Amino acid sequence: MSMQTVAAPITAAASAQSEREQTARLKKTLLNDIRRSIYVFRIDAGGCNACDIEIFAALTPVFDVERFGIKVVPSPRHADVILCTGAMTRAMRMPALRAYDAAPDPKIVIAYGACGCTGGIFHDLYCVWGGVDKIMPVDVYIPGCPPTPPATIYGFALALGMLDQKLKASQHVEAPDEQVAISHPRIPYNLRIALEREARRMAGYRQGREIADNFMTLIAQDDARPVAQRVADFLARENDPRLTEIVRSLEAICSGAETDR
Amino acid sequence: MYKLLKEVFRTGNVTVRYPFAPLPASPNFRGKPHYEPERCIACAACTIACPSNALSMTTDVAAGTRTWEICFGRCVFCGRCEEVCPTQAIALSPEYEMAVLDRADLYQTAEFSLASCRLCDTPFAPRKEIDYVVALLVNAGLPEADAERRRAMLEVCPACKRQSEVVREAGSSGWHQIGVTP
Repeated sequence: MSMQTVAAPITAAASAQSEREQTARLKKTLLNDIRRSIYVFRIDAGGCNACDIEIFAALTPVFDVERFGIKVVPSPRHADVILCTGAMTRAMRMPALRAYDAAPDPKIVIAYGACGCTGGIFHDLYCVWGGVDKIMPVDVYIPGCPPTPPATIYGFALALGMLDQKLKASQHVEAPDEQVAISHPRIPYNLRIALEREARRMAGYRQGREIADNFMTLIAQDDARPVAQRVADFLARENDPRLTEIVRSLEAICSGAETDR
Repeated sequence: MYKLLKEVFRTGNVTVRYPFAPLPASPNFRGKPHYEPERCIACAACTIACPSNALSMTTDVAAGTRTWEICFGRCVFCGRCEEVCPTQAIALSPEYEMAVLDRADLYQTAEFSLASCRLCDTPFAPRKEIDYVVALLVNAGLPEADAERRRAMLEVCPACKRQSEVVREAGSSGWHQIGVTP
């Protein structure tokens, strides 16, 4: 009795393994034997249409995926590749499955966009299955919200075995003496905060942080020239009136801090 | 017809050579979040800011570890993690070639050790975070000895702090247990 309970899952796993091998072999045959264009059928399983817009952007003359013979077809009966966008809503799961069944074997399924890969920002909605791989086997995942046309081309090149995969799973384990260094330690803490806050207020978090970083590196570095001269040289080199405005206001904060002291 | 042909020849070939030649995205393009675990203090600000729960933190009290994880397949590239990160450990890069064949390749994890509470010996906060706070205090002008005294207070979990505070209010100083006089 106990033998059986142990043996049953092993055989099930083995048969699943052989099924996977068969599918992989079939797909290799598809890629080797296909002597014509790859036909793509697109399923929108509850997407916001941004992914679809990017797919059609990939068909425009600038990116032109049709030069590789990748062609979008209107019926799953003609399809070699099923390109599935959207978070797989409850309402679209049956039509998506019917389209999948209607496509001739062997077929390649591509999950497209953050929603197609894992459900994306809609992953925990009540009416969302959360990803194409919940209802059909997926061969290639193309993340992005939405993926740009080059990312789309890259995904197709990966699916067709033309390019190698770049992204690999990675694990980091903290080293025993790992420490985080404080950035710009020579500048007083409160001034650092005030500078970064002002730069972010004026230029947004991304450029603001960059500008504040550059400015603090500039004023804290070892240099024979006086600080005002360094900043003036930097501004003359950049020659950007918007940057000048922001850096002047950062300088005002610095001199204000000095008079306070 | 002549005008059309003239326009066609004037425009030339607009198609990019992308898969055969690299196509760099703009430097401000919001692509794959680039994470440097060495700069991370495991404060979990990014996991709270992340609107799609692509970032997550799980605490394993038994093992005394906290694991940070990102799923690139769920990320919507909004950049809020970059906005809130206090140590600039995460930033969106212009990298967009993220397609994978195996779903497991969409995950990146980093494991951090937790410091144990000095009173109840339960792991409660990342060691790196406490070290960073002490380093900030020293950087802000606190003498080393005072900073170490503060470390003794920082390495007490909130529950024990509350308890000690109640005991102190009641008369006897709970801080004596860790050799600290607040």
